[in-house]
Amino acid sequence: MSVDMNRASKDGVRFRLRAIKSFEWGGAQPMVVPYEFLPDVALADIAFEANSRTLNGLFQSCAIALTEVMVDRKTLKPRSRKEISLSSETLDTLLYDFLTEMIIMKDVISFLAKRVTVRVDPTRPSLKCELGGETISRSRHKLRNDVKAVTMHMFGIKKTPEGWATTVVLDI
Amino acid sequence: MINSSSAKQISDVVWEIPPSAKPGMRVPARIYATKELLAGMDNGVFEQVTNVASLPGIMRYSYAMADAHWGYGFPIGGVAAFDLETGVISPGGIGFDVNCGMRLIRTNLTFDEVKPRVKDLVDLLFRLVPAGVGVKGFLKVNQSQFEEIMKYGVKWCVENDLGWPDDVSHVEEGGYIKGADPTKVSRQASSRGISQLGTLGSGNHYLEIQVVDPSRYFDTKLGKAFGIEREDQVLVMIHCGSRGFGHQIGSDYLRIFDGAMRKYNIEVRDRELACAPFSSKEGGDYYGAMVCAANMAFTNRQVIVHRVRDAFGQVFHKEPEAMDMHLIYDVCHNIAKVEKHSYEGKNVEALVHRKGATRSFGPGHPDIPAPYRKVGQPVIIGGSMETGSYLLIGTQKAMEETFGSTAHGSGRTMSRTAAKRNIRGDVLQRQMQERGIYVKAATMDGLAEEAGVAYKDISQVVETMDRAGISKKVVALRPIGNIKG
Repeated sequence: MSVDMNRASKDGVRFRLRAIKSFEWGGAQPMVVPYEFLPDVALADIAFEANSRTLNGLFQSCAIALTEVMVDRKTLKPRSRKEISLSSETLDTLLYDFLTEMIIMKDVISFLAKRVTVRVDPTRPSLKCELGGETISRSRHKLRNDVKAVTMHMFGIKKTPEGWATTVVLDI
Repeated sequence: MINSSSAKQISDVVWEIPPSAKPGMRVPARIYATKELLAGMDNGVFEQVTNVASLPGIMRYSYAMADAHWGYGFPIGGVAAFDLETGVISPGGIGFDVNCGMRLIRTNLTFDEVKPRVKDLVDLLFRLVPAGVGVKGFLKVNQSQFEEIMKYGVKWCVENDLGWPDDVSHVEEGGYIKGADPTKVSRQASSRGISQLGTLGSGNHYLEIQVVDPSRYFDTKLGKAFGIEREDQVLVMIHCGSRGFGHQIGSDYLRIFDGAMRKYNIEVRDRELACAPFSSKEGGDYYGAMVCAANMAFTNRQVIVHRVRDAFGQVFHKEPEAMDMHLIYDVCHNIAKVEKHSYEGKNVEALVHRKGATRSFGPGHPDIPAPYRKVGQPVIIGGSMETGSYLLIGTQKAMEETFGSTAHGSGRTMSRTAAKRNIRGDVLQRQMQERGIYVKAATMDGLAEEAGVAYKDISQVVETMDRAGISKKVVALRPIGNIKG
């Protein structure tokens, strides 16, 4: 496994390692890979798979993966705070709307989040989210892809033996 | 499992998958490809083109052009026409980037005149035309002006001194599509779009300075009809769309249609094929909003051209008029439009979806601007930033076979992740400069993702469509300067 990791250090595995390192687990053990980019799902676009023991963790992982597609998060600082409150018809559409809201924030107020804390209420379904991040700066931030939209391709939250999982395909 | 072997050869470069291949198919699927291109197409193309063939109200065939590859719902390179009464409209048949398209302007400058100033020109254009993540556009408008843009596109621009009078007629649909309804656009879509007028975007979008490739100037008579008089003439090509505005309208209605399909008892094989009857409230609302995005995209390309003219003026110390910087044409390649077509011996109106496909109207069509009407519509096919692009012309055969449609570009063969793994942006930039292409990109990762090796051979795509008679080659254009988002 270590040999494979070295050889594949420039693909999804690199993100996997970084994800484990940078993710805030609040004391839990990082047994589940929070997210992993999938190179072969969408030729012209970018896909990732997210996993978590909790729904809160799943939504956070998706938000962080989405942000990593747009910017190298290491170059961001949590200079200001934003909040998102949403409710939706189903858990699936709640996640879709949540990620779409982050894309809207990127375009409308040029805001990218370094830190994300989400509290999901699956009974409604609804969420409250706190974001710590900053306004885009071309000189300070290592920017990547301008995400157009979250697609419905393969979209949907699944219950797994470890917790929750989803695949997200972003249109670039 | 449907794949390339499910397709039967009909003629030289036309293949067909019969309705018996998959339950629910209402019409056959038609694929335009050489044997080699067909073998290279991913299985997604065959699955998706046959899924589209199953949608209600589809007319004649579900088409995949020579540049087809897997997309969301419809394949990229997909064309499908629907009956206005019994048919559907599908955001997946248009794409999130509504009216992503190509625009070509000419100059009377020669390669020798421009070559020593390419770097200055590209550097200036890079400053004047914002590109990349989260950038704001240079055109500041208020909500009521933005609504005028949604309705009147390039016409609004010209009335507001952002273009030349003949720009309007040299854009598909005369500069704006009728039927825009700003009341069907969400507040979020407006707020994403209003700040992005005059931005290039990222991904595969670009602004490119090109020169005629004299060894591939196939039809000089037709070229002259478009104002391409010389074998060393410099042109400018723009590839971009409706930015966050169209993306948000796509996202909004994908959600709405996801629910509406249950209401109308439509079952689809893929959630991205979400659709609604064109005659339904949801279908009509989406069309009204989508046309707003299409007109915003025409405007976006128009105001970018305005800046391009300005940049050439600054660098060459001449008025843009003196450099003959007229618009050759502007085509949509992600769109659905109501068009008149001949079908089963009758003249009918159809809702033609083109997703990664270009209108290719033949000689004499009334929708072609008067100066070109005798010869046919210019068709602009954008290639990768390394391999160049093509100007083609629409044909009568396209009117008869494909609802006046042809391919749009080269189509990817390598994922973005794989391209970044194999190619370094800074190395590619240096290599391209050694080959005479000066490129400036918002990010080096973005540059690597758009390397020529990540795309199909555009010449094969163009050759296939030419052999099929769906569009004919006029001239190949070689890049000398490129700005990437």
